Amino acid sequence: MNNKAQQLDVTPLVEATYYQAVTAAIRSEAIRLLGEGKVAAVVGYRAGRRNNSALPAIVTSIDQVDQLIFSPACVNNLALYLTKAKNEVKGKGKLALVAKGCDLRAVAGLLGENQLKRDDVHLIGIACAGVYGAEADRGLPLCEATIARKCRECTVHEPQRTDAVTGILPKLKELPHLESEELARLEAMTPKERWDYWQAHFARCIRCLACRQVCPFCYCEQCLCDKNRPQAVESSPRPAGNSAWHIVRAMHLAGRCSACAECERGCPMDIPLNLLNRKMAKELKELYAYEAGLEPQEKGPLTSYKEDDDQSFIK
Amino acid sequence: MSRIGVFVCHCGENISRTVDVEQVAQAAGALSGVAHACDYKYMCSDPGQNLLKKAVADHNLEGIVVAACSPRMHEKTFRKAAASAGVNPFLVEMANIREHCSWVHEDKAEATAKASDIVTMLVERVKKDKALAPITVPVTKRALVIGGGIAGIQAALDIADCGHQVVLVEREPSIGGHMAQLSETFPTLDCSQCIMTPKMVDVANHPNITLHTYSEIEQVDGYIGNFRITVRKKARSVDMGKCTGCGVCMAKCPQKKIPNNFDRNLGTRPAIYVPFPQAVPNTPVIDRENCTWFKTGKCGVCQKVCGPGAVDYTQEDELIVEPVGAIVVATGFELYSIAEKPKGSPIKGYGEFGHGNLPDVIDGMTFERLASASGPTGGKIQRPSDGKEPKQIVFVQCVGSRAREKGISYCSKICCMYTAKHTMLYKHKVHDGQAYVFFMDARTPGKGYDEFWRRAVEEEEAVYIRGMVSRLYQKNDKIVVMGSDISVGVQVEIEADLVVLATAVQARSGADSLAQKLGISYDGYNFYSEAHAKLRPVECATAGVYLAGACQGPKDIPDSVSQASAAAAKVMTLFARDELEREPIVAKVVDRYCVGCLACKKVCPYGAVEEKEIRDRQGTLLKVVAFVNPGVCGGCGTCQATCPSKSVELDGYTDEQIMAMIEAL
Repeated sequence: MNNKAQQLDVTPLVEATYYQAVTAAIRSEAIRLLGEGKVAAVVGYRAGRRNNSALPAIVTSIDQVDQLIFSPACVNNLALYLTKAKNEVKGKGKLALVAKGCDLRAVAGLLGENQLKRDDVHLIGIACAGVYGAEADRGLPLCEATIARKCRECTVHEPQRTDAVTGILPKLKELPHLESEELARLEAMTPKERWDYWQAHFARCIRCLACRQVCPFCYCEQCLCDKNRPQAVESSPRPAGNSAWHIVRAMHLAGRCSACAECERGCPMDIPLNLLNRKMAKELKELYAYEAGLEPQEKGPLTSYKEDDDQSFIK
Repeated sequence: MSRIGVFVCHCGENISRTVDVEQVAQAAGALSGVAHACDYKYMCSDPGQNLLKKAVADHNLEGIVVAACSPRMHEKTFRKAAASAGVNPFLVEMANIREHCSWVHEDKAEATAKASDIVTMLVERVKKDKALAPITVPVTKRALVIGGGIAGIQAALDIADCGHQVVLVEREPSIGGHMAQLSETFPTLDCSQCIMTPKMVDVANHPNITLHTYSEIEQVDGYIGNFRITVRKKARSVDMGKCTGCGVCMAKCPQKKIPNNFDRNLGTRPAIYVPFPQAVPNTPVIDRENCTWFKTGKCGVCQKVCGPGAVDYTQEDELIVEPVGAIVVATGFELYSIAEKPKGSPIKGYGEFGHGNLPDVIDGMTFERLASASGPTGGKIQRPSDGKEPKQIVFVQCVGSRAREKGISYCSKICCMYTAKHTMLYKHKVHDGQAYVFFMDARTPGKGYDEFWRRAVEEEEAVYIRGMVSRLYQKNDKIVVMGSDISVGVQVEIEADLVVLATAVQARSGADSLAQKLGISYDGYNFYSEAHAKLRPVECATAGVYLAGACQGPKDIPDSVSQASAAAAKVMTLFARDELEREPIVAKVVDRYCVGCLACKKVCPYGAVEEKEIRDRQGTLLKVVAFVNPGVCGGCGTCQATCPSKSVELDGYTDEQIMAMIEAL
């Protein structure tokens, strides 16, 4: 499941100077924005206590700007801070957001779902080579051995539709697509084998709901799964309710998920949730030639009807 | 709710044949909350309804479950009965143990158990029903008629004569439809044009009719009483306001070799044309596909010769929105062709008849144009290949129709009569000619119809041969017809000069996509479905949409006209009221939980969802939520199913009710 460091290439994918340049650019943009009073806060990353780690940071004054950094440890999808789930941040006023490609896809989704107005956010886009995987050896630079699985097949390294862009990427090395390979393996299974595969994973779920809390699209004020009159999904961590929860999650994200894979990173039980997300995205692409979050859309294929929509599934 | 009455219907034997209704009633009586349960032979009859009313009074019932047929059939009946007994009509639920149970099962024990389950579920549902009051909405007293053939024209004139505005939309450049193409009509042999064209002129001159020709329905929004129709007026390239219909453009157009579709491609027409001289409106249209100006950018003759300057090459398609309260669909039919069908099509062509490649094998409508005084031959019967007058003519009935192996099993209804007519028209024009007809049966029910057919056989000397034709092929300048005469059991071979095929009546191509726009249902052949074959034959299951003519199934002129007037009468019934009572089964948003993603707004087919701002007392905006306009909501529940946080509830179908029903199983 995870990257096997000992077998993989440890040559850095990008030079350390690239990260210094991006960090400097974020700081100068933050100083300008805060100084001119354009935004109330800058949502970015700061260094964590442990070696080569990073945390989300909400910077409201120029003297805090030095905290802001960018490194391969900046894994979080900060678009989360633009949702109603984080109203305490959103309530501060106009925000500037440090955003990687996948984060920007989430922003586009939130714009399309009426959760955000474009004028309410200043987007500092980052040309991103990728981030560390969950079990990466933080002593190593960003390399084939440490890069997250999702980043191996990223299609949005260069940020789009932003107010500012930081960083210039070199030509990136093409890496094997581990997730797609795993997905192909699952697709080749019989339905029974596949069901057993997922049942085994879901059976381990402890229903901590970290996958929900970390997802920028799970912004409902009351989650369907918390409703108890009537109760749609059993709330205690037992197999039936676990499967129901993960199916609801996958279906609710179909056609919306920005593929940031934060759910999978956040999962303490190592359930490969991004495989579900990726499968949904693949179906959407094959059936409707649609990829979520590339442009803010008023209607996606699942909320609109066209006469030439594929109907082959109706039997 | 603890005082529920359950009323189990036998429906004659429809239910009781496969369901032990007494046992169902007995089991229902034992359910918690059920105060009274009984069964009766015909619950919808007067005594049945009285039984219900009496039980309400005797047992002080608060909720009612009628275990009988589909709610589509009798829900209204029982709601009315309940209301007259003092129970809110929305506390009545139908347990469908007929369509969903007795009709589809054979084993009595299993069917009875299933019927009991259905009743149990509905008892749980009625417990959580709320008393509702009907919603009233205004009615737009303006009708849309789609299709300008005889059915559409009749419906439009009837509604307009009643004083209501009518919008008539026709796909072709002129109204008239198929009837305008016919020579004479059965069973009286009166000239089709003579009885048709005055009606067309009436439409054009009627102050209450707005005519959109060369137009199609782009989009349909709204619901009964309040539809919004988007009509695409295709670019005519001629300004209708300026054109006087003088016809100089058509005379001067250098491109004259375009096959004339109206004459079944027998004659030719120019690129700027009216389909036929009596067209309404008498304004030409440029066929852009064949016009030299549009193909090469050179020519422009019509624009130069047009006195009033009506020709406009820059015209573009125009979208017009028409608010209407009712829709009459009268889109008619098209004829089956024996040509080879695309691979995989369920309908097959006739390779044994040459797939339409023999010029002297024509269909009935082509024969109409040959026999018509206004046709390409001026009414002379001349065969297409060499213009010779055919001395031996063979008519073949049931080509495509009643031929399951070719993909169509239905009878096209009109062919027996028009073939008889064709033999007469032929005999009247070619006195020394001989007509043969291959037929399976002569189906001639209708006033004066059988007499008409007998006349063809007995007085006009048409030779009717009972049997099928197996093959047609060209031999020198003759078409050899190989068939059988099953009445004497011999093979028959006729060398004919001309063969006329009575090809099947089919639904219009594109009938399915129009149905999807209108939200009406259609059968496997794409004919539109009526709400009830016997009792609601002109209404669609979709409220406010009515059917007229052959779009519903093969029909002759008298049937189409009667049905058009019937549809008009239904429209006028609707327009007789200023306000329409609508079912209060509408969606409601729970503001507390709605997060304003507006997924419901995106999927709502009625456009009923709006944005609502929630502010505190100081006027600070707290959040934006969805709001369902109850006057517009159609109660389909799509929003309820879509809402990710389940913050939308549909009265009568709440999640709580559905869960209670499932748990009752």
